Amino acid sequence: MNQLTNPVEVLGIDAGGTMTDTFFVRADGEFVVGKAQSNINESQAVLESSTDALAHWDRKVEDVFPEMVTCVFSGTAMLNRVVGRKGLRTGLIVSKGFEDFHRMGRAIQSYLGYAFEDRIHLNTHRYDEPLVDIKDTRGVTERVDSQGNVVIAVRLHEAREAARELIEQGCQAIVISLLSSYLYEDHEKAVRDACKEVAREMGVDIPVFASVDYYPVRKESHRTNTTILEAYAAEPSRATLGTISDSMKAVGGQFDLRVMASHGGTISWKAKELARSLVSGPIGGVIGAKYLGEKLGYENIACSDIGGTSFDMALITKNNFAIHKDGDMARLVLSLPLVAMDTIGAGAGSFVRIDPHANAIKLGPDSAGYRVGTCWPEGGVDTVSVTDCHIILGYLNPENFLGGILELDVDRARREIKRQIADPLGLSVEDAAAGVIELLDLSLRQHLRAMITGKGYSPTDFVCFSYGGGGPVHAYGYTKGLGFKETIVPAWAAGFSAFGCATADFEYRYDKSVDIGITDESTQGEIADATTTLQAAWNELRDKVLEEFRINGFKDEEVTLTPGYSMQYLGQLNDLEIDSPLTVLSGAEDWDVLVQSFNDTYARVYADAARSPELGYGITGAIMRGSVVTKKPNIPEEPDAGPTPSEESRQGTRPFYYEKEWVDADIFKMELLQPGNEVKGPAVIESDATTYVVPPGFETFLDVNRLFHLIESK
Amino acid sequence: MSNFTKKQVSDLVKGSLDWDTLHMMLSMPKDKERYANYMSVLQDQVSWDDKIIMAFGPHLYLAETTADKTLVTKCSCGHDFGDYRTNWKLNALVYVRDDEEKMQEVYPKLMAPDTNWQVYREYYCPTCGVMHDIEAPTPWYPVIHDFQPDIPALFDWLDLPAPVNA
Repeated sequence: MNQLTNPVEVLGIDAGGTMTDTFFVRADGEFVVGKAQSNINESQAVLESSTDALAHWDRKVEDVFPEMVTCVFSGTAMLNRVVGRKGLRTGLIVSKGFEDFHRMGRAIQSYLGYAFEDRIHLNTHRYDEPLVDIKDTRGVTERVDSQGNVVIAVRLHEAREAARELIEQGCQAIVISLLSSYLYEDHEKAVRDACKEVAREMGVDIPVFASVDYYPVRKESHRTNTTILEAYAAEPSRATLGTISDSMKAVGGQFDLRVMASHGGTISWKAKELARSLVSGPIGGVIGAKYLGEKLGYENIACSDIGGTSFDMALITKNNFAIHKDGDMARLVLSLPLVAMDTIGAGAGSFVRIDPHANAIKLGPDSAGYRVGTCWPEGGVDTVSVTDCHIILGYLNPENFLGGILELDVDRARREIKRQIADPLGLSVEDAAAGVIELLDLSLRQHLRAMITGKGYSPTDFVCFSYGGGGPVHAYGYTKGLGFKETIVPAWAAGFSAFGCATADFEYRYDKSVDIGITDESTQGEIADATTTLQAAWNELRDKVLEEFRINGFKDEEVTLTPGYSMQYLGQLNDLEIDSPLTVLSGAEDWDVLVQSFNDTYARVYADAARSPELGYGITGAIMRGSVVTKKPNIPEEPDAGPTPSEESRQGTRPFYYEKEWVDADIFKMELLQPGNEVKGPAVIESDATTYVVPPGFETFLDVNRLFHLIESK
Repeated sequence: MSNFTKKQVSDLVKGSLDWDTLHMMLSMPKDKERYANYMSVLQDQVSWDDKIIMAFGPHLYLAETTADKTLVTKCSCGHDFGDYRTNWKLNALVYVRDDEEKMQEVYPKLMAPDTNWQVYREYYCPTCGVMHDIEAPTPWYPVIHDFQPDIPALFDWLDLPAPVNA
C-alpha cells in the first residue's frame, strides 16, 4: 500500500525492566511490535526497539517519525528510582512537633505489596527507608485545626532558618507539607515563598513544592509522600523524558511525548504533577480493553493480564473502570487517583516448590522473571518454574521461546522437575508438571471469580479479555467453567499494554478535598453555601487543568472539561465518584440534581435497596478532568478468508500432555492465520512474543479485528 | 523448599543477612538442612567440643557432653550450669536492682519502675561474666525457670535420632 496515504500515526512504548516494547500503528490499523533489551540510556533502547519494529515494514526510523502524530510512553524507571531510593536529595518542612511522621510511616506501609500469607505474618512486616532523612526534616511553628481555623500563626523566621539549613546541608529540593493545609493554604504558601526567597538570597536555584499547590487533599501521610515524590523522583524523570523527547525530535518527530498516568489518562512529560506517571504498565491494558470494548460493542469486560511475575485483573462495567482515590505504589500510601486493579503474585514464571511439611505444591511468591527457569541453564536458576512445566508438556516450543533468542534445555527441566517435584510427591514427571499448571489455573480462576462476584456481579455478564505474554497460554485454564460470555485473546496480546497506552486520552485530572454535609434539617442557605463551596473547588481545579494544557500549547477552548464529585450517604465510610450532571452550579436548587445523580449511580453500582439516605448526603471531594482530542490507533479490519487455515500457517504437530494423556497438537503460526480461520483443539498457535494454547475440548476462531475467540466446545 | 547455605545461616545469626533473603526465610517453611546448618554455625562460635543441641540465648546453649552424653546448660566460655532440667539461673551469679539508685544506672529518673513493685534480676556467668538473662518480676517472686524444651518431640519433628539422655 502507498506509504503516503497510509502513514504510521501512533506509537506506544512500554519500557519495562528487561524489555522495551514499541507498538507502531498505521492509519489502516495494521501494527508492528518491536522489542529491544532495556538500557540505562532509555532513549537508545526506544530507538533500537523502534528500528526492530519498523524493519517488519522495511521502513526506517528517520522516515517514519516525521509522519507520526502521537506517542505515549510508559516505563518503570521512575518506580525503580523510588524502590531503589536513588532520588533527588530532598528537604522536608512540616508543622513543628510532627517531624517524625514521615519516617514512622503508616502501619499499612510495612506490609503493602505483600502476599496474603505475609500480610498476616507479623514477623515479615518491615518499614522501608523513608524518602527523606530525619536530618533533612525541619519543623516550623504553626497550627491549623481540623476545621481550617488558624490556632497558631506561622513563624516565618523559622521557615527561613529551616530553608537555609536544608540548602546548606545539600538538599536539592524542598517540600512543604503542613497539617490541615488543604483547608487553609496560606501558611504553606507563605512558607513556600519564604523558602524561595532564601534560595534566591543564597544564589541557588532549587525547586520548592508546597503540597497545596499539588495535592490539596486530606490525609497528611498520603499528601506528604506524594508531594515528596514530585521532588524526589519526578524531577529526575522529567530530565530523562526530556532526553527521550529530544532524541525523537532529532530523528524528525513533530509530536509531543506523552506519559501514561495512574488515573488512566496520559499527560505531557512537562506536566506539573508528574508523580502520577510512577505506575503505568498494567494500566495500559485496562485502557486498551476499554477502548476495544467501546469500538466493538463489549460494555462489560473482565481484564486479565498475566506476565512473568503477576496476574493483574480489572473490571470494566458499562464502559467504565473504577478509580481508587488513594492509590498505593512502591509501598507508599499516596494521594493519587489510580485505576482500580487486583494483583496477585503468581505468574507464568513463578517458582514451584514442595512444602516439606505439608508435602504439597507451593507456587511463588517469587519468580524466575527474565531468568525463565531451569530450562535455561545460562539464567542461573536452580528452582523449577511454571515455565519449565509448560516446556516439558509441549505447551511452549523450546525452539521458539521469545522468538528463539534463548536456547532451552528441555532435559534439564525434566530432570529438575523429577528431582524437586515429581519424586517427593511420588508422581510421574508429566503428572507433577500438569498438577503445577492445574494449581496455578485454579488459583487464578478463584481470584478472578472472587473479584467479580465480590463486587456483586456474575461472570455471565462479562467478556473476558486475556493478554500479556502469559495470558494466551493460560486463558483456557483460568476461564474454564466460570461462564464468561466469551473469552477473547487479541493477536497482539504481548504488546497489549503498549497498545493500550496509545489509546488513552490526553487527559489531566485534579482532585481537591471538600467537607460538605447536608441533612434534612439543613437550611436553604446552608445548601446554597454547599454548592458555592463545590463550585469554588471546581474553579480552582479548572484553572490548574487549563494551565497544564497551556504548557503544551492548547487553547482553553480546545479543552473538554468534565467536573465530578465524590458523594456519600452520611454515616457511611465509602464514597462514590461521579461525573457531574451539571457543569456549573448556580444555587441551592442544583443540589437535588447532584443528589439524584448520586442515587442513580449508587443503585446501579450496588442495588436500589441498599440506598440509605436517612442521615443526609456528604460531598468529600471535587474532581476536574480535562481532555483534548488525540489521534488513536485504528483497530485492524481484514476480510474474512473462510474457516480453513492456510497450508503455510500449519507448522506440523507436537506432543501435548492434557488430562493425563499425550495427544498430538496442531501447531500454527499466529501471524499467518487469516480472519475467519477456525482451529479445533488440541492446537498451539505460536508467535514470537506469545503462545496461544487451545487444548482438547476447546476451539477458537480469528475475527476480522484480529481477535481470537476461545470457545469451550463440550 | 529453598535451601539456604551455611553462610546465609551464619549471617542470620550475626544479624547481617540481607533483607530479601531474610524475608524469604521468614515466609517459607524451613528447609531440611536448616537445623544442621544452624547448629554447625553455633558450634563454630565456641571453643569446646560438647555437641550443641539448642540455643537458649546468644551465649547460652543446651549441649550434649562428649564425656558421658548428659544434657547440660553451657555458657559460650565453657562454664557448665549443670543438668538442663534444673534451672541454670540457680547456678549463676545474680545482681538485683531493687532500689531507685540502682535503677537510675540503667534508666533516667522517673522512667524506671517502682522497686516496691518490680525489681530487675540480672544473671551472669560465674566464669566469664557475660550477662545471660534479666528478669523483671515482683520482688517476692521465685526465680523463673524460663522453659524446659521437649527434646524428644523436637527430634521427632526433625526426623533425626534424639540424644540418648533426652
